[in-house]
Amino acid sequence: MADTLPTLTKEISQRKIDVYSGVKPHSIHTDEAWARKKGFKAPLAQAMMSTAYVSELMTRFLGAGFVKGGTMSMVFIKPVYAGDRLTVHGVVKERRAEAGGTRVVVEVWCENQDGEKTAVGTASGLLERAGG
Amino acid sequence: MERFPELKYEALQVGETFVSDTKLVTPEDVEAYAFAVDDQHPWFSEDSPFGGPIAHPTILANQALALRHSKYIVRAGLHAKMEFEFLEPIRPGVRARSRGTVIDKYERRGKPYMVTEYVTEAEDGTVLVRGRFTQMLFRD
Repeated sequence: MADTLPTLTKEISQRKIDVYSGVKPHSIHTDEAWARKKGFKAPLAQAMMSTAYVSELMTRFLGAGFVKGGTMSMVFIKPVYAGDRLTVHGVVKERRAEAGGTRVVVEVWCENQDGEKTAVGTASGLLERAGG
Repeated sequence: MERFPELKYEALQVGETFVSDTKLVTPEDVEAYAFAVDDQHPWFSEDSPFGGPIAHPTILANQALALRHSKYIVRAGLHAKMEFEFLEPIRPGVRARSRGTVIDKYERRGKPYMVTEYVTEAEDGTVLVRGRFTQMLFRD
C-alpha cells in the first residue's frame, strides 16, 4: 500500500458553498456584505467542507473501513474563500494491529492555490484482515 | 413560547446540553451534498458494501455543528477544530438526531472558544457518529 495517497483537487464555488451551508442573511458563508463586515475579503467556505474532502480521500483509500470505523481530527488554520482551489493530501504515518485488522493512520491536509495549508490533521480507518 | 437569547461567551455554561431536531436523510439530501462537496462516489447513488446506497460519512456534521442554534441566536463564529468517529454508515431513510454537551470554554489570544462533545444517533438509538468540535465566538 502506497505511503502517499493520490491527491484530490476541489474548486470552491459560491454555488457549492450556498448548497452546503444554505443561503441565509447574516452568514459569513453566503452573505457577502456580512462577510466583509466581519473582516473577510469574500464569503468563506464552511471549514466543515474540508472534512468532507478528507472523508473522500480516505474513502477512496480504505473504502468500507473508513465509512465504518474511521476517525478524523482536523484543525482549521486558514480561511477558504469562494473561488479558491484546494488540494487535499494524505501520507500514511502509522499502521497498527487492531481487533479485526490493521488501523492505518494518515496525516492529512488541505492546501490552497497559493500553497498555504488551510486545514491539517489526521484520519484513520481499518484495513480488514483477509477473510476477516 | 421558547426564547432564543443571543449566545454570549460569558453566560455560556460548561455542562450545558443541546438537542437537535430529527432530520430525515433523503436521497435528495445525499445528491445535494454530493454536488456541494463534489464527491460523486457510486456508493452514494448505487450499491455499497453495506447493502444499498449510503450517504457521505460527514453528511450530518452540520446538524451537530448547529446544535447551539437550538437554544441561541448565533450571529457568527468560526470553526476551529473537528473530530469524528464514524461508527455506522448513514443510509438514506434514516432519521437522525444529534445531542451535545459543552465540555469546555476558554479564551486564547483574547478570543473566546467553546468545545462541544456530540453524538449523532438514528431513531432506534444506533450511534452513527460521535466526536467533538471547537468553535470561536464573535463578541460583537
